[in-house]
Amino acid sequence: MAIEKLLKYEQDSRFPLTLSKSESRLYMSFISFAFIALFVGGLMGLLQVLVRSGYYTLPAGIDYYQVLTVHGVVLGLVLTTYFIIGFQYTLMGKTVGISDTQYRVAWLGFWVMTLGTVMAAITILYGKASVLYTFYAPLQAHPAFYIGLALVIIGSWIACFVNWRQLYVWKKKHPGEKSPLLAFMVVINMIMWFIATLGVAASVLLQFIPWSLGYAATIDVLLSRTLFWYFGHPLVYFWLLPAYMAWYAIIPKIIGGKIFSDSLARLSFVLFLFFSIPVGLHHQLTEPGVQTTWKFVQIILTFMVVVPSLMTAFSMFATFEISGRRKGFGGLFGWFVHLPWKDVRFLAPFVGMLAFIPGGAGGLINASYQLNSVIHNTIWVTGHFHLTVATTVILTFFGITYWLVPHLTGRKLTPSVNRLGIIQTIFWAIGMTIMSAAMHIQGLLGGPRRSSFSEYNGSEQVAEWGAYQVAQAIGGTILFIGIVLMIYIFIKLAFFSPKGNEEFPIAEEEKDAEPTPMWLEKWKLWVAITIALILFAYTIPIMDIIQHAPPGSAPFAWPIGNN
Amino acid sequence: MMKKKTLPNSSSQEPNLKGTIISVSIVGFIIVASWFAVFGLFLSR
Ligand code: HEM
Ligand SMILES: [Cu+2]
Repeated sequence: MAIEKLLKYEQDSRFPLTLSKSESRLYMSFISFAFIALFVGGLMGLLQVLVRSGYYTLPAGIDYYQVLTVHGVVLGLVLTTYFIIGFQYTLMGKTVGISDTQYRVAWLGFWVMTLGTVMAAITILYGKASVLYTFYAPLQAHPAFYIGLALVIIGSWIACFVNWRQLYVWKKKHPGEKSPLLAFMVVINMIMWFIATLGVAASVLLQFIPWSLGYAATIDVLLSRTLFWYFGHPLVYFWLLPAYMAWYAIIPKIIGGKIFSDSLARLSFVLFLFFSIPVGLHHQLTEPGVQTTWKFVQIILTFMVVVPSLMTAFSMFATFEISGRRKGFGGLFGWFVHLPWKDVRFLAPFVGMLAFIPGGAGGLINASYQLNSVIHNTIWVTGHFHLTVATTVILTFFGITYWLVPHLTGRKLTPSVNRLGIIQTIFWAIGMTIMSAAMHIQGLLGGPRRSSFSEYNGSEQVAEWGAYQVAQAIGGTILFIGIVLMIYIFIKLAFFSPKGNEEFPIAEEEKDAEPTPMWLEKWKLWVAITIALILFAYTIPIMDIIQHAPPGSAPFAWPIGNN
Repeated sequence: MMKKKTLPNSSSQEPNLKGTIISVSIVGFIIVASWFAVFGLFLSR
């Protein structure tokens, strides 16, 4: 009995901690901001597919590329970053807690980010920054756009510092213990984010801001693009890792199982940290001015990501199978049947996982040098990341929302909202299957991305694209209905659901699990290896780019950009 | 299997993961197959 109590103490008394009212308000501020972004960005997505179908023109002389900039910035940068930071704070709050000072600093981060977002948004709305979310030079936006971006980055760094501090303080209080799994994962993701954003921050502060203010007459285009993609690939892993946090450590609880392997989960996160950053050149395979050798080196490093990705896939299937067999479902695939299909907290992320199969396969195609030349800059690429970010990541985030928002607002996920959520998931699955498949095929037929409707003087090849563009409009419209449903669900969960106590599901390890080896906590070593890999992959190409730079480019504010 | 938590020696009871290994292999196969499909397209152009 005494021992049982002790075990119970080990298991329960530390976490999950409870979140205070004021904490919840902070976390909800981030998440609400994300849902506003979802609605605005989704509306732009709808306009894009309608325009590209050829049957609709934008009213009031609104420019397609302005709409596309809003879509990319608001969904790719704002929605994701706000949701992730908010969600990660809740994970830290639940597992290691937050102090009063940390709490105040976290609010500061929110306001710095929000000030930056508002500045950038205003420039975009006035048509002064139609430079798309990658803001490639020599397109030039209003300086306030770049200053706003810099503030968003700085605000997100504040979140990094708070999260690191939270774990540090916890570890001081619990010497010799392994850090809670979810806190470990959050800290890894924020280390990756911090190292990666140093690249864009350098480019924005040293290149774009002086150039847009007129202090520098020209800009080194290749350097700016290289620094962008040094950040751009880890950006996609910054989106994905929070989804993996939910898959590894939350979904098992929802399906009534246990964490498959705590060590495997941690190891895969460490590998993602290593191989997410020194790979940005795989976005620049057609770039002149970068040596083939270094593109090749970074492609090899890119393919290393297959290892933690398949580890994750294995771990998910194993969690499902073990918990199914334990409930008495035998056979090769009997365990599949037991999964809680009618629970939207499971169904939405599960559909996200499925989307990652074609998403991941497409990613490896994109990263293969020769195959990249088949799909580069075609709408295939857009089809690819609407599977990965806009389905895998977003549906997992929706899956989190169903329990996290009521948990934070002191309400319940009701059966009717659950049912609506299932319908939402189905809409998303159908809409995205149609839109993304049509984009993939049109891309293989040579259809370009980032382009408004055009008949290109009636060329023969272009005639092949029409049907697929119409299909994208149909799929995109279904998706937009999904977005409206989701906004309704969010508002309902945040303000109108009955009061109650919704569970914050955090899975536990098996009682007899192998202990996690302590070497997984060698933070300094992980950071050192990460930096070494980056120096190896980037030093020579960047030196080459700087030394052999052609004359810099003067700004282009027209035809899109700033007019 | 048993529902009550027992504490067996961790090595004595490896879970049955046949379905998992088959599922992951299917995923691997899809990846390789789609890669070669696009590779075929590359060669044919
Ligand atoms: C109603 C749902 C959506 C529709 C109809 C839609 C449609 C589109 C289309 C047609 C494009 C390409 C336009 C072009 O290249 O000319 C695009 C680009 C993009 N979408 Fe979506 N999308 C939707 C949701 C999302 C979501 C949820 C995300 C992210 C979480 C997202 C992220 C992006 C990004 C980052 C781009 C790239 C923008 C660029 O190339 O500058 N989209 N979307
Ligand atoms: Cu990438």
